[in-house]
Amino acid sequence: MLWLSFACASELDLNQEVRKILYALTIKNLCKTFGTSVAVKDFSIDINDGEFLTFLGPSGCGKTTILRMIAGLVTPDRGQIVLQGLDVTHVPVHKRKIGLVFQSYALFPHMTVFDNIAFGLRRNKLPKKDIAKRVSSALEKVRLDGLDQRFPKQLSGGQQQRVALGRAIAPEPSILLLDEPLSNLDKQLRMEMQVELKRLQQEVGVTTVFVTHDQSEAMAMSDRICVLKNGEVQQVDSPEQLYHQPQNKFIATFLGRSNVFEVSVKKITGDRFTMLEADGGFTFLADMTGKKCEGNKVHVVIRHEVIKISKNKPKAKKGLNSFTANVTFRAFSGSSIEFMATLSDGPEIMLKADNDENSQSIFPGDSVWVSWDPKAALINKLDG
Amino acid sequence: MSVLWRWLDKSGVGLLSPLTIILLVIFVVPLLFMFPTSLLLYTPGVGIGSEWTLENYIQIATDSYYHKVILRSIGMAFTVTLATIVIGYPLAYFLARTNSRIRNWLILLVIFPMLLNLVVRSFGWIALLSKNGLINEALISVGIIDVPLKLIFNLTGLIIGMTHIFLPFMVLLVMGAIQNIPDDLEEAAAVLGGNSARVFFSVIFPLSVPGLLSGGILVFILSISALVTPRLLGGPTYKVISTLIFDEFMQLLNWPAGSALAFVLSFIALVVIWLSGVITRRWMEHLI
Repeated sequence: MLWLSFACASELDLNQEVRKILYALTIKNLCKTFGTSVAVKDFSIDINDGEFLTFLGPSGCGKTTILRMIAGLVTPDRGQIVLQGLDVTHVPVHKRKIGLVFQSYALFPHMTVFDNIAFGLRRNKLPKKDIAKRVSSALEKVRLDGLDQRFPKQLSGGQQQRVALGRAIAPEPSILLLDEPLSNLDKQLRMEMQVELKRLQQEVGVTTVFVTHDQSEAMAMSDRICVLKNGEVQQVDSPEQLYHQPQNKFIATFLGRSNVFEVSVKKITGDRFTMLEADGGFTFLADMTGKKCEGNKVHVVIRHEVIKISKNKPKAKKGLNSFTANVTFRAFSGSSIEFMATLSDGPEIMLKADNDENSQSIFPGDSVWVSWDPKAALINKLDG
Repeated sequence: MSVLWRWLDKSGVGLLSPLTIILLVIFVVPLLFMFPTSLLLYTPGVGIGSEWTLENYIQIATDSYYHKVILRSIGMAFTVTLATIVIGYPLAYFLARTNSRIRNWLILLVIFPMLLNLVVRSFGWIALLSKNGLINEALISVGIIDVPLKLIFNLTGLIIGMTHIFLPFMVLLVMGAIQNIPDDLEEAAAVLGGNSARVFFSVIFPLSVPGLLSGGILVFILSISALVTPRLLGGPTYKVISTLIFDEFMQLLNWPAGSALAFVLSFIALVVIWLSGVITRRWMEHLI
């Protein structure tokens, strides 16, 4: 009997062990308050080994505070941070073995590129030869070979960014934290660095936590995105899931551009589509299958790229939402053209059409038809 | 004329002209007038002669009394500079980095000595440091010493007094330099595994050197040329260059010797400024 309970106990330990190894980083119930403002509210997450996870949210949502707590630069009020199975909640910054890239890069201006990158290696009492080898391998990874004797001021913004990245990965950290590293670069360079950063992350295989307020950047780079608002997690999912199955209105509108209608659900009949009525009497159809919101008010989100626009009446298809409208605004952006159109007796909607013969011929003032498939509507219960 | 105006306009020198004019009229011109005086000879009871001679400079260069006073002055200024660095740096670092509510009060406290009259301040030190002063009395009554320490009318007294007076310059300049170092750099160094000592010596200190140098120049020049404090705390017999110059001019009426000494002092000051400039430029090369 005693033996049995002993066996159970060891099995339990083993399970915990397995769990620890499973996640590169586990955060439990993290809380932080600055004065009277709550920065992070009961935040928990598990991050897989080698994963590229993004904290996405508007400024002031607590994403940087969480990152700084992982790094050890901010002490949490409550909660636990477990890094590769080790509880580091109370471990000082310099003992956490973390790579951090600052928004400002924070390169040491009085040191050469070589010394900047070697800074994190010198604590390990490595022989000089090994330091030189590891610095040059880091320089190679960030594609800065040959610039090791330059000073930060002699480099361009993009090159400084690469040095900061090289400096962070050279000591082979257990986790790489990136605090809006691309936001100081111009758009062209930002796109290049996105690709570069992703390539580097995959090459090195380091678990990465990325902080940004830029949704397209987050979508392009992440394995998973954690959307934050006012210090609380809204949803943690892959970019695709976030985009197609947003769990609330905030996420639906924060990712991508959308039209949001607040509607009341009349009655879900046996039919495929249900008639919805927005304020002001504007009605349209949506697929309510599986949604239990009869009699409720809900948010209906219609992404601007699912709405079609044409000069002629679209071919009648059963259940298709189609309305006459008047074009009020047109913005050409190369591959696509964005329109604003006021529906007859309805609200103004925003839509995006491919740049083709049809859309090229539509200009403000034109009378057009707009339509969308009832299945394309995203429906959320009214939050709050 | 129009060429001159255009040059003043384009080069930006025009902006400097009010200050330039004031400095020229009240500083450089009198200095130039002094130079010929230093090349004349004063005979007591007769007055200033009319023959050009290098006698005054030769005397300074050869007389061991002058050597002693000059070396003492340089040594004193150097010690005061070091003392203000040692005492001022930690304070400046604290003031630059603290978010404490009392920060502004502390800065006021640092500046406070500058708001006091020089003579009052020096007499305060006399009251504290003299044979029967507060410090000696206290030390004797506690039983640490039997015989009063000689804390005033010697180098010790001068250094104590001047360190007190010039500390604010050092603190304010170093504080400014440290405030200009972004917090990010400290954090980056810590994240990369630097403990607080390493963060300080490899990041904060090197980047604060420019402020340290300008504070050092200022304190050095101010203390080597200070007159009232050495006069009061050094007494009538313990002399430094500035008190010597004062005595030559005002008591012995030997203007030529006084001028020569004044030029030697200016020369020392210029050498110090030049040297610090060279060091600063070396250091700053990559920072700007």
